[in-house]
Amino acid sequence: MAQLIRRAGAVLTVTLLLGGCYESPDVTLHEPGEYKGPDDPFLEKAADPEHQEQLQQRLARGQTDR
Amino acid sequence: MARMKFLCDAERCIECNACVVACNNEHEVPWGINRRHVVTMKDGEQGEKSVSVACMHCTDAPCAAVCPVDCFYTTDDGIVLHDKDICIGCGYCFYACPFGAPQYPEQQAFGVRGKMDKCTFCAGGPGEDNSAEEFEKYGKNRIAEGKLPLCAEMCATKALLGGDGDEIADIYRQRVMKRGGRPQTWGWETAYKEGES
Amino acid sequence: MKLYRKSERPGGVVDRRTFLQRSGLAVGGGVLAGSLPLTMVQRAQAQDKVNPPKPGVDTEIRKSVCTHCSVGCGVLAEVQNGVWTGQEPDFDSPINLGAHCAKGASVRDHGHGEKRLKYPMKLTGGKWKRISWEQAIDEIGDKLQEVRAESGPDSLFFCGSSKASNEQAYLQRKFAAFWGSNNCDHQARICHSTTVAGVANTWGYGAMTSSFNDMHVAKSMLFIGSNPAEAHPIAMQHILRGKENGAKMIVVDPRFTRTAAHADKYVSLRPGTDVAFMWGMLWHIFENGWEDEEYIRQRVWGMDEIRKEVASWTPDEVERVTGVAEADVREVAETMAKNRPGSLVWCMGGTQHHIGNNFTRAYCIVQLALGNIGKAGGGADIFRGHDNVQGATDVGPNSHSLPGYYGLTDDAWSHWARVWDVDPDWLKGRFDAESYLSDTGDMQPARNLPGIPVSRWIDGVLADPADLSQKDNFRVAFFQGHAMNSLTRGPELKEALEKLEMLVINDPYPTHAAVVSDRTDGVYLLPAASQFETYGSVTASNRSLQWRFKVIDPIFETLPDHVVLYRLARKLGFDKEMFKHIKVVDDEPSIEDTLREINRGSWTIGYTGQSPERLKLHAENRHTFNTTTLKAEGGPCDGEYYGLPWPCWGTPEMGHPGTPILYDTSKSVAEGGLTFRARFGTERDGDSLLADGVYSKDSEIKDGYPEFTADMLKQLGWWDDLTPLEKREADGRNWKTDLSGGIQRVAIKHGCAPFGNAKARCVVWTFPDPVPVHREPLHSPRRDLVEKYPTYEDIKSYWRVPIKYASIQQIDYSQKYPLIFISGRLVEYEGGGEETRSNHWLAELQQEMFVEINPADANDRGIRDDEWVWLEGPNGGRIRIKAMITPRVTRGVVWTPFHFGGWYQGVDLVDKYPKGTEPWVRGESCNTATTYGYDIVTQMQEVKPTLCQIERAG
Ligand code: SF4
Ligand code: SF4
Ligand code: SF4
Repeated sequence: MAQLIRRAGAVLTVTLLLGGCYESPDVTLHEPGEYKGPDDPFLEKAADPEHQEQLQQRLARGQTDR
Repeated sequence: MARMKFLCDAERCIECNACVVACNNEHEVPWGINRRHVVTMKDGEQGEKSVSVACMHCTDAPCAAVCPVDCFYTTDDGIVLHDKDICIGCGYCFYACPFGAPQYPEQQAFGVRGKMDKCTFCAGGPGEDNSAEEFEKYGKNRIAEGKLPLCAEMCATKALLGGDGDEIADIYRQRVMKRGGRPQTWGWETAYKEGES
Repeated sequence: MKLYRKSERPGGVVDRRTFLQRSGLAVGGGVLAGSLPLTMVQRAQAQDKVNPPKPGVDTEIRKSVCTHCSVGCGVLAEVQNGVWTGQEPDFDSPINLGAHCAKGASVRDHGHGEKRLKYPMKLTGGKWKRISWEQAIDEIGDKLQEVRAESGPDSLFFCGSSKASNEQAYLQRKFAAFWGSNNCDHQARICHSTTVAGVANTWGYGAMTSSFNDMHVAKSMLFIGSNPAEAHPIAMQHILRGKENGAKMIVVDPRFTRTAAHADKYVSLRPGTDVAFMWGMLWHIFENGWEDEEYIRQRVWGMDEIRKEVASWTPDEVERVTGVAEADVREVAETMAKNRPGSLVWCMGGTQHHIGNNFTRAYCIVQLALGNIGKAGGGADIFRGHDNVQGATDVGPNSHSLPGYYGLTDDAWSHWARVWDVDPDWLKGRFDAESYLSDTGDMQPARNLPGIPVSRWIDGVLADPADLSQKDNFRVAFFQGHAMNSLTRGPELKEALEKLEMLVINDPYPTHAAVVSDRTDGVYLLPAASQFETYGSVTASNRSLQWRFKVIDPIFETLPDHVVLYRLARKLGFDKEMFKHIKVVDDEPSIEDTLREINRGSWTIGYTGQSPERLKLHAENRHTFNTTTLKAEGGPCDGEYYGLPWPCWGTPEMGHPGTPILYDTSKSVAEGGLTFRARFGTERDGDSLLADGVYSKDSEIKDGYPEFTADMLKQLGWWDDLTPLEKREADGRNWKTDLSGGIQRVAIKHGCAPFGNAKARCVVWTFPDPVPVHREPLHSPRRDLVEKYPTYEDIKSYWRVPIKYASIQQIDYSQKYPLIFISGRLVEYEGGGEETRSNHWLAELQQEMFVEINPADANDRGIRDDEWVWLEGPNGGRIRIKAMITPRVTRGVVWTPFHFGGWYQGVDLVDKYPKGTEPWVRGESCNTATTYGYDIVTQMQEVKPTLCQIERAG
């Protein structure tokens, strides 16, 4: 039941927000539970500063008007 | 640490669907599932505007909040990913998502839903990066290869930006300064609890 | 919320427009996205992942160019072990900077080839039978020889393609010439032939004057009959950058297009009234003295004649004809006048009219009056359609000309015979030796008569042979890459296809032509390799030549077009002559040798400097070119313009950088500058036609001058600048026929344009309407205006066939068919659409043929949104399609896309396709309902506008 209400709340928020009303009604969202699946090795890679640097350069190269 | 975000510039989007096709091509998304949609307001009238919408990789993602089996996880740079082996296809996340991102391939009879599929910010899912298994379930992992979301990288007009939130906001801000008018960061308020100023 | 499910279609899902429309999205996008039950969409038949990339396998990147439009976006293909596994954005290409539209993002599907024709097939007894290539070539060749013996070489209609590479298109024209006929053509006839004729006759060349990138610096942009957001999507990247840089963007179109949605100003006009609108603009320009007087004095001839015509186009009359209010016309004129330089862009909305050549000249004249031609940011920016329609127009199969616009005169034949190194008499002997009635009323030998163009090929089949200016009807038609559903008069097309003795379709897909007729025999389907399975050069709309490297080998039993041409030529016995200087390995003629032959012969348009080596160098160094000017900054191509936009004068060794902006006098010719071409003589009515006191930078002749000849070099004392070798070749010749390139080299050395320095002309005295005038469309709903602005008289023989004007316009169809009917593009599809509708990523997004109809017209007819309707044209053709009710079209006007095919008058022809090749999406061809009408100069079909009636389908 609690979950149902939560869901209704979320949909309502959305409807209002995107319908042009930017006032957030007070909706409490439930904290997500702990992720249950296996680890993603990507997480470690993503944290590597060199990798971050690479992505930054990629953005400049591809998404600016150059 | 970067915070990955999407931003679609409605002044530039021409509703050409390249982003949708790029995604389908890159990840071999099956017919009937689109991780990204182009949405048009006032179609055919003065004021017609389009934006391209997919999973926005929200802060405090509502989908994760409602998942009864907790199959979601968020990377340090804010990408919301999920595990299809855990997903039970219940469809709650679809209703929670402000952007209609989660989708479910219909599986045979009785409308039983398959495992949820959604935009991964081109970052795959759990498992070894760019393994055959990861590709099969989640598509390519471009981020692991040092690339960015293909939908944004192939966008016809560079309307759709995808990458570090600060940097894309910069690109966008410069554009708005040049052309004037009000910045409209479509969906940011909802997804990232912030507008663009 | 209504669920949308289509059960009878392959994987019927929510298609884009329906998705948007049904959702009530008009109020706010996200609501829809959040509530649409995407879970309910039906899944396609099992679509396993095709050709996924394999981890740990080497990936190669191959560079190609998109095959779906003339923008020419760079494609990066990822290939593993010869399999096309991925596509990456080509950030380095200065044309697209990595971007694609839906079509470009989907090209990997070519490598899957699920719906492709896989091997040669033959229709016998109503069944498709697989045959071998050898059998196909043998049988086709034998039949060709048979009809040749009985009816002469002109009994074959050979249609080439705007989707062929330059080299293939050139070989298509050469093939026709060596077969002995001018009955060859391609899509340019029905997309921009009126542009090419109108614009070339105004200032020299009939091509886009600048580039997409040049839009960055425009101060204003006027789009009329052009919808780049759907037809040239990546052009929009540059257009919107221009707009952000401050350019004013105006769209004039009968339909509120997706481009109009981005414009500062949108004006809706009645279809077919552009000349009136242009003269309306000029009326305000002249009235307010906004014209560029100095520019006109120095560079334009005949503006006074225009003033006279324009004087009668008062604001009232303009409004009466076009439906546009005075204030709007004035605003457009003022915006263009006060924001110079500005670019004027038109596409098929401006060309497909029986007075299309008048339209295109009127556009040019407005730009001349404003002094907008030959300036960065200005231009007559004609966006071409197919990916290589520019190149195929330049050097490919045109029924009225040999490659390079040399025409069909004896001089033209002898020039090309010299380039081909064949005996001119042998070549002559290939043709029907008889003479026939020409367009000008005299008798001409067949080789000098323009062939029947593709727009009229059906009349070549159906007309009484006594009415034809050739020996007999067409008995065989061979289509190497052309969609029949792009041609008007569907029911007659079907009849023509049925009357032929043999029909050959050489295409990657079966096409509409394979299924629309009721033939049970005598059809051959020859599977063609796509441009990704071969290599060669392709000319984008901005005249840049780009090199495509081969991505994958031809899949299944497909063959590239040039291989098919070679095998046919061999079967027909002229391969030795045709490939004399083109090396053939394993039946494949060398593309490089072919391009070198084009280089050796195409002096008129400067297709001479773009050697394969130079083009490959550009392809490898795409990142060194500036994205606004297209000029290489440093690197191996330093100072050159991307793709060596033609004219790239002289020999490759001369190193001309290409001409990024035509007629731009601010640069020297050696650096890509140019003058207007001296094409129409030096004098008219006692007036000099040469430029007056204006010349390109560094020109040693400080005034106008005629085109260069050997004699002129001698008079100027420049003859000795030629090398002895050049002298030998150049003597007695001119800049177009000197095969050494010496005349061009020396002219340019002295700062001069080889083609002279003249004025552009506003009056084309060789055309039926020297000054462009408005004439009502043949199917005009405005009977009150038909009287004042009538069409032409019928002509007995024109391009070998009779042509009707007055006899059609006389009949009032508008009572029974009150709606104005126009057609256009969808972003997901291209041309006749067979290729793109067979691409599952694209097909998924656009599943149904529909007609856009204004709410008022729909209500008048009791039509609800998304209902089936019948649309019927005055020729009796009927199509069953879905109604899309939208204010995008004004009351009284309806619009359909033109990409659909595979249905005929309510029947899905799915069972007539060879098994497994039916496109994912099929639908009625709009041209089943379109009508008669052809341009008076080029035989362009008049599809915009015609008339129709729409009713609910029960
Ligand atoms: S980020 Fe990747 S997965 Fe997400 S919509 Fe774009 S292309 Fe698809
Ligand atoms: S590719 Fe870019 S311009 Fe085209 S629909 Fe997507 S976001 Fe819009
Ligand atoms: S169709 Fe045209 S605009 Fe689209 S990707 Fe291809 S070349 Fe570019």
